[in-house]
Parts: sequence; structure tokens; C-alpha cells
Amino acid sequence: MISIESVTKRYGAKVAVENLSLHIPAGELFAFLGPNGAGKTTTIKMLCGLLFPTAGTVRIGGFDVRTEGDHARALISYVPDQPFLYEKLTGREFLRFTADLYAMPPDKAARKIDEVIELFHLDEFVDDLTERYSHGMRQRTVFAAALVHEPQLLIADEPTVGLDPKSIRELKILLRRLASEGMTIFLSTHTLDIAQELADRIGILDRGRLLGCGTLAELRQQAAIDGNLEDLFLKITEEAAAEAVASNASP
Amino acid sequence: MGRELPPVADQSRLFRRLRYTLFRNSLQVALHTGRLRLFSLIATSLLVAFFTFGVSLYLFNQLAVNNIPFKGAIVEALFDLLFFTLGMMLLFSTGIILYASLFTSPEARYLLATPARSDQIFVTKFQTAVAFSSWGFVILGVPIFVGYGLVSTVPWHFYALLPLFLLGYVLLPGSVSAAGCLLLVRYMPRNRKQFFTLLGLVLGAAMIYWLYQLGMGFRKSLISSGRELDDLIGQFDLMRSGLAPSHWMTRGVMAAARDELSGAFLPLAMVWSNGLLLFVVATWLAQRLYRPAYDRLSAFGRGKKVYGTSLLDRLLLGLVFYLDKPTQVLVLKDFRTFRRDPTQWAILLIFGGLMLLGASNFRQYYAGDFGVMDRYAISLMNLCGTSVLLCAGLSRFVFPLISLEGRKFWILGLTPISRDQILYGKFAFAATGSLVIAEFLILISDVLLTLPLTALLLHAVTVAAITIGLSALNVGLGAYLPNFRETDPSKIVVGFGGTVNMVVSLAFVVVVIGLMVVPFHTAQLAQRATEGAARVNLWVYVGIPLGALISGLAVVLALRAGIRALRTMEF
Repeated sequence: MISIESVTKRYGAKVAVENLSLHIPAGELFAFLGPNGAGKTTTIKMLCGLLFPTAGTVRIGGFDVRTEGDHARALISYVPDQPFLYEKLTGREFLRFTADLYAMPPDKAARKIDEVIELFHLDEFVDDLTERYSHGMRQRTVFAAALVHEPQLLIADEPTVGLDPKSIRELKILLRRLASEGMTIFLSTHTLDIAQELADRIGILDRGRLLGCGTLAELRQQAAIDGNLEDLFLKITEEAAAEAVASNASP
Repeated sequence: MGRELPPVADQSRLFRRLRYTLFRNSLQVALHTGRLRLFSLIATSLLVAFFTFGVSLYLFNQLAVNNIPFKGAIVEALFDLLFFTLGMMLLFSTGIILYASLFTSPEARYLLATPARSDQIFVTKFQTAVAFSSWGFVILGVPIFVGYGLVSTVPWHFYALLPLFLLGYVLLPGSVSAAGCLLLVRYMPRNRKQFFTLLGLVLGAAMIYWLYQLGMGFRKSLISSGRELDDLIGQFDLMRSGLAPSHWMTRGVMAAARDELSGAFLPLAMVWSNGLLLFVVATWLAQRLYRPAYDRLSAFGRGKKVYGTSLLDRLLLGLVFYLDKPTQVLVLKDFRTFRRDPTQWAILLIFGGLMLLGASNFRQYYAGDFGVMDRYAISLMNLCGTSVLLCAGLSRFVFPLISLEGRKFWILGLTPISRDQILYGKFAFAATGSLVIAEFLILISDVLLTLPLTALLLHAVTVAAITIGLSALNVGLGAYLPNFRETDPSKIVVGFGGTVNMVVSLAFVVVVIGLMVVPFHTAQLAQRATEGAARVNLWVYVGIPLGALISGLAVVLALRAGIRALRTMEF
């Protein structure tokens, strides 16, 4: 579903992502981990077509994001860490707009809108203007809109921020169910528990480079450590940091 | 993986429906919860429109009554100037609004991650930007032409064609501005410092040329008898050229006024066809450049740019030398936030530039001694314009300052600075900055109009009273009626507190101008009308201490209310 081939992204002199290659098949739940400034959001923005790679190619469902971006984006839903809603639309009007934007037939759109309203418990406020929503309500509405058009790929940046424990629990169950039904899910998160609990594979990014990628067992093998994901993550990133300092110090 | 193409929505229809729904919902909210705001918006617009209509009617009537020679040429030159000035205003304001909505808004980021087409996003944003920036065009333009029509007893189709001319004209500068904005963001050199240095040099050279022209004009008006119509019209060569859209508008409107329909339709067709062509070109550019430009802009600002103290910071600190060190630090923080946001200071530059352009051109009319342009009337208009500009500027930039601190207030709250000091700091920042700008604008325009020293001093004192009073009102009411829910300053301004502040500020300006300068200007006009029989006596200055007293009261009452509110505020 996702094919990232030798992608480099530079911001002027700064390299945000360096020679990244990653292939994620349909139906996989992939968790993308990394410290702040590692290049996770830049990678996500390149997947969505918000940014273009300086070198390399990004393909979604076989469509090149740069040259066939409109087709590629039709397969994607993106839930950013700071969700956007039109303040002067109601939740239902926003869901309807999203369904129309993805060219859903009206009958199917109406059915799916009712379904996601029930799924995310939006019924109490879905006909209020979104300007009155709390952060959690906004996050649930954005998730509902992301799923209303049945995307083939769901990209979520810190999806649990602002959600209460019950909503987080429901979201985790939902994500697992969607992946088992064939949807590809690309999660970027700092919450290692979620990655450990949900992900089929985990990628660890630091300073724009992919340090490790695989199942939890494969990562343990790579790092030669038998701890939980937190131990693994810290060991891999600290080793990379030490290597970077050493290479900078050497003449 | 299959390459089956996803279905495509009718996006034009979809975005039209989105705009309609947003408008309908906004109107419903305004009618239910924001009637005061809606009413004050309509009332203020009507006030400006009627004032413009009254002044226009008077001036066109003077032209007709005094049977001034070449009055057709004068009106034509006036219309050229008007369309050119409004066109420039549209050009800049559309560009600024489009830049913000295409490249920095959360909505743009959201839409760019969906299958929404680049050109469709652009068209939606373009229409919104043009609608926002052209309301001034309608409020200022329509009353002037209606005034002209009534005095010149034009045929009915003059009024029927007017909206078509105005609607067509907004497309031209809007499209040029949109194309320029896209090209600039897409192809701006990586080294922005070099680019802006070059731009500064070009603008500096243009400014020197303009000052040279002004100087020559000034010399001529001093040494000659004053009736140099050719020279005067020569000042408008650029605007009167056959290639200038502002001149097509003038030709078309004047032909419609003369009942020459064929002469009106050709310029109308030129305005519309060129406007639509440019719009298509801008949309075509958006289709190809919008996404690469967005990508390119994201690459800026990620480098290790070191922000430090600039000459402007040192200048400001020099101006607020009378404050203690901690308050100076607060003032500097507010100033840096302001100067590092081009969408904020660019608006001030545009209005300031347009006002100076207007003042210099009015001066040319006065130098031409056409009688219809009284320098005292013009300077009073300039003063009113500057005060309204101050009102709008302070409401936009100063009123939201406390509201914007809201969520970050704990940073200031934990420092050893009292809340009173924070408010005084904001007042010092607002009063110092706006006093320098307003005095500069009013004194330059008065010097261009060759007003005597008495009038210059009177205007300087009045502007100081207005600036200080308005600054206190905006800071005080900003603390008294804050809005901590909003993070967007433009939304804070149009909220309840912002509306109350705007109404109070406008009332304050009307009262202070009415007391401090209107008696003086009325006496000057009366003296001129009676050819010296009516004299200007000392009674005209009686309002000055009253105006100063009202300004002082505004400072004390507003700041006291603000401080009381701030002391008890929980963040």
C-alpha cells in the first residue's frame, strides 16, 4: 500500500529525512516511533502529498504522490495531531462535506455517516456547530470524518492526544479491527504502549534515518536486548546518538 | 496493488455548497448571538458611505456651481486617481489575505491532504479574499459615483452599469495579486536576505524618484501663478495611459454618464475580458504551482536562523526610555511579535502609503488652485482618515493582546512583574508605536498641503490626544472584555468585546475631533467663503483643553477598569 523508495527531504541545508525506504503492505498496522524532530511528521506530510521528497519517490496504492497526487490522496485519510474542523459547520455537515469530497454515492454516504456517528458516540453534539466542541469531541469528529469514506490507508499523528481513557480503549479496538478488515494504518506516536500493543511492525526513526524496522521480536534481535519496547527504543536511539557524536568528533 | 482510479467529485459544486452553508450558519449565529456586532458593522459601513457621499456631492457640486473650466478633465483625472488607488489597495490586500489563507491557514493544510484539486482550493480562497478586500471598494466607490451622477444628472443606465464596472474591476488587481503571490512563494530566492535587500533598493529608488517629482511640483506651485492644468494632468500619466485598467474604468463610467452607450460598453468589455483572462491565468498557475509553492515555503524557516536584537528594537527601547527595565522587556516582547509577522505590519504600510499618495495628489489639485479643493477641508479629511486608521489598527493589533496572553499567562504570571505593570507595558507599547506612526502621517500630509504652523500644531496635539486615549481604551477594554477561547486575533476583534471596543473608540474619535479641530476648520472655511469677512478668533481653540481632558479621562478610566479586571482574573 505504501512504498517509500530512497526518499530524502531537505529543508535548505538541514536533512529532515535521509534515504528512507519503507514498504507497508495492505492491512498492516505500522507504528512509527522517534524522538522529537526525528522526521516523523515530515514523512507523514510526504505520504499525504503536503510535502514533496527532495529525492526518491513515494507511492500510495501504486500512485506516485507527486505526479498522481489527486488519485493517491483519494485513498488516504489523514488525522493530524491538531485536528481541523470548519468552525461554522456542524459535525454532521462536516461529515457530509467529507463524504462528498471523496465522491461517495449519497445513499452510501448517509448510511456511513450514521454508522460513524454511532461508532464515535457523536450523537449528542453532532448537530451543534463545531466551534463549541471540546478537544476530545473535535478529535472524535475528525476520526469519524477520516473513516466515513472508507479509506484504504489511515494515517494518524498522535491519535490518542485529547481522548479520555474510555475513548482511547475504543480507538485501539477499532484500529485493530480496521486493520484486520484490510485497511492499512500508519500511526506516528510517542506512546510506546500503544505501539507495542497494536502494531504489526514498528519503525524507529531518529535524525531522519530509519534505525530499525520490524516486529517487536525482530527489533529485540536487532538490538540484542530482551526488554520491552521502551528499553528497545531507548537503546537504539541512544546508540545512534552516540554514533552521531563520534562521527561528528572524528576529523 | 490495483491501479483502479478513484471516483472524482464535482468539486466546484461541492465548494459552492460549502461556502453557502458557512455563510448561512455564520449569519444565523450573528442574528442570534451577535446582533450588536452585525448592527455596528452595518452602521459603521453606512456612516462611512454617507460621509463619502456627502463630501463627493459637495465637491462635484462646487465644480458645477463655480463653472470651473476643464471640469470634465478634472473629474476624469479624479476618477483615474480613485480607480488607481482603489486598484492598488485591492492588489495588496488581496495578496496578503491570499498568502495567509493559501499557505499558513489550518484549512489549507487540511484541504491539501484531501483529493481537493489545487485550482479548486485556489478559486475558493480567491473568491473569499476578493470579497473581503473589496468591501472598502464598494463602500468608498459607490457613494462617489452616485454623488457624481446626481450632480451631473446622468441617464439611468449609468447607475445600472456601475455595479458591472465595479464587479469586473475587482477581478483585475485580485488576479494579478494572486498570480504574484503564487509566483513569489514558488520562485522566491532561497537567500531571502538578498532578495529583500534588492527589493528594498528598488523601492528606495522609486521613493527617491517620487520625492524628486514632489519637490519639482512644490517649486512650481511656489513660483508660478498656479493654473497649470497640463502639469497637473501630467502627474497622472501612468494612470491615464491606454494600458491602465483604471483609465478604462474612467472612460467607461464617463461615457455612461454622457449617455454614450457604445463608448461605455467597449471599456466594460475590456475590463471584464482582461479580468477573466487574468483570473484563468492565475488559476492555471495555481494548478501547477500551488503544491510546489506550499512545499517550498515549508522548507523556509527550518534553518538555524538566529533572531537577535535589531536596530528597530534599539529604536523602540530608546522611545520607551522612561519605563523601568522589566516593563521595557515586556514592550520589547510585544514589538518583536508584531515586527516578525509580515501580515500585521504590511497592513499598516499599505494604509500609510495610500494615505500619503492621496495627500500628495490632493496637494497637486490644491496647487492647481481649482477652488474646489480647500486645503483645510482636505487636511481635516486626512486627520479623520488617520484617526479611523488608528482606530482600526489599534483594535486589530492592541485590543487582542491580553486575550492572546490568556493560555500562556502563567509564563508572565510566574515572573516578578505585577499585573498592573503588564498592562502599563502594553499601553506604553501601543501609545509609543501609534504616536510615532500617526504624527508622521499627519505632519507629512499637512506639510504637503502647505498648512500654516498653527494648523500643524493643532493637528499634532489632536493626534497625540487621540492616540494616547485610543491606546488606553484598547488596552483597558482588552483586559476588561477578554476572549480567552480564541487564538486568532482577527476573530477576537470581531467578537463582542472587540465590537464594544470599536464602537467606543469611534465615538471617542468623533468627540475629540469635534471638540479640538472642527471649530478651527469651520472658521477657516467660513473665512474663505465670506472672502475674509468672517474672522478666525480665539474661541475656536476652546475645545482643545476639553478634548485633552476627555483623552485623559479615557486613559484613567480605561486603564483602571482593565487593571481591576486583570488583578482578579483567573487563567
